[in-house]
Amino acid sequence: MESATSAVAGASRPGIMRIGVTTAVFAAAGALLAIGLLLAFWWAPTDASAMGFSQKIFYYHAPIAETALLSFGIAFVAGILYLRRQDARYDRLGVAAVRLGLLFSGLVMATGMIWGKAAWGVFWAWEPRLTTFLIACLLYAGYFVLRGTVEEESRRATYSALFAIIAFVDVPITFFATRLLPEGLHPVVIRPGSSGMDHRDFIAFMLSMAGMTLLLVGMLRIEIGIEALREELQYLKNRLGR
Amino acid sequence: MRLGLRQYRAMVRKDIIAELRTKEMVVSMFLFVVLAMIVFHYAFTARGSVRMSLLTGGMLWVVFLFGALLGLNRSFVHEKDEGCLDGLLLCPVDRVTIFLSKMTANLVFLALIQLLAVPVFLLFFSTADVVAHLPALIVLVIVADLGIVTLGTLLATISMNTRSRDLLLPILFLPLIIPLLIAVASGTAKVFNGEAGLASLLGVLVFLVVYDAVFLVLAYGTYDFAIGE
Repeated sequence: MESATSAVAGASRPGIMRIGVTTAVFAAAGALLAIGLLLAFWWAPTDASAMGFSQKIFYYHAPIAETALLSFGIAFVAGILYLRRQDARYDRLGVAAVRLGLLFSGLVMATGMIWGKAAWGVFWAWEPRLTTFLIACLLYAGYFVLRGTVEEESRRATYSALFAIIAFVDVPITFFATRLLPEGLHPVVIRPGSSGMDHRDFIAFMLSMAGMTLLLVGMLRIEIGIEALREELQYLKNRLGR
Repeated sequence: MRLGLRQYRAMVRKDIIAELRTKEMVVSMFLFVVLAMIVFHYAFTARGSVRMSLLTGGMLWVVFLFGALLGLNRSFVHEKDEGCLDGLLLCPVDRVTIFLSKMTANLVFLALIQLLAVPVFLLFFSTADVVAHLPALIVLVIVADLGIVTLGTLLATISMNTRSRDLLLPILFLPLIIPLLIAVASGTAKVFNGEAGLASLLGVLVFLVVYDAVFLVLAYGTYDFAIGE
């Protein structure tokens, strides 16, 4: 991957610098995630409620969920910026962010189902947060279907930006709507006022959060690079075709 | 402003006249809606009788959503194929006026279908005294319809400009409309179970109004980009 970037991009792009930064981001993310998990298992107290040991997945599950939402948020901002400035860079950022948001949403549901099986005895419950992520997944999957059906580049970018904006506005509305219905299984961990966590839990959780966010940043950088390469490839293919 | 209003009226009139000439959209929407009810009936009563009143709130809106999709898909296909849209875009008309008129026409068609279909639905499925709760039902329907056509018109504009056209609209529309469906289905279920006055529906109504407002503002802000040049 790295050699491919510099080979196609040529000397004019600051390829080497960028790979350096990305590597550093990944290293930091890995270290933080590892420390966070170690602390979660060996330092933070085991949950006192009925969930007990299975609560440990929280240190993984919740940061992934925040990261997925953050990623969709980035796509939302990129969408607004694209509509205002019509700059292809924001389109690339938007695609990369939606793709990663989708990936992380999938992981949210996977870890959520594992936790659900351990804590509630069932893999799937129609529970507000889990359901919201399912709907978000389907919604953002539609984003890629939309992209696939528009050929002209600027129109594709405009529609993608538009849809990323609409979708991101819809996610909190969906969450709120699922709350209109009775019954909810999710523990409310962080309430306004008290953090609801031991300070050891809190530190382990925050380290995992920071690690996961950095992981997203690193992956975004790579994804944007891939997207640029893809465009370049398409351009070269088109030239060869003629 | 006066001019915008006149343009808006002219465009709504154009859509309604065009539909009245063939009536193909309204007729197929209505037939679809009634057929869907029959399909539902047999899908749910396959194992003997069940208390349908528990399901009717959701059923009614599933039927309307899919019926609305049918109409929304048609609403731009004509314009595009006959070159009418190009004409409209060449006119010195605000894009938002085009959106509002298209939305209004879609709303009129959807409301017409509902006016015809709700009595049929009640005849088929309801045992409750709905007449007493009719005002509540009407308010619910109006507020929900507004959300459906706002979002639907915006997305239909986008999907008409893509290669897959009518294939794309449901995929974009349905996940976005789920919050509205949740709210309006639970509200309608209350009405059909005879437990709802306007007061107990307040939460649902407020939610629906907020939903409508959010997507109206979004459509207002982005329609220029959606309809293209």
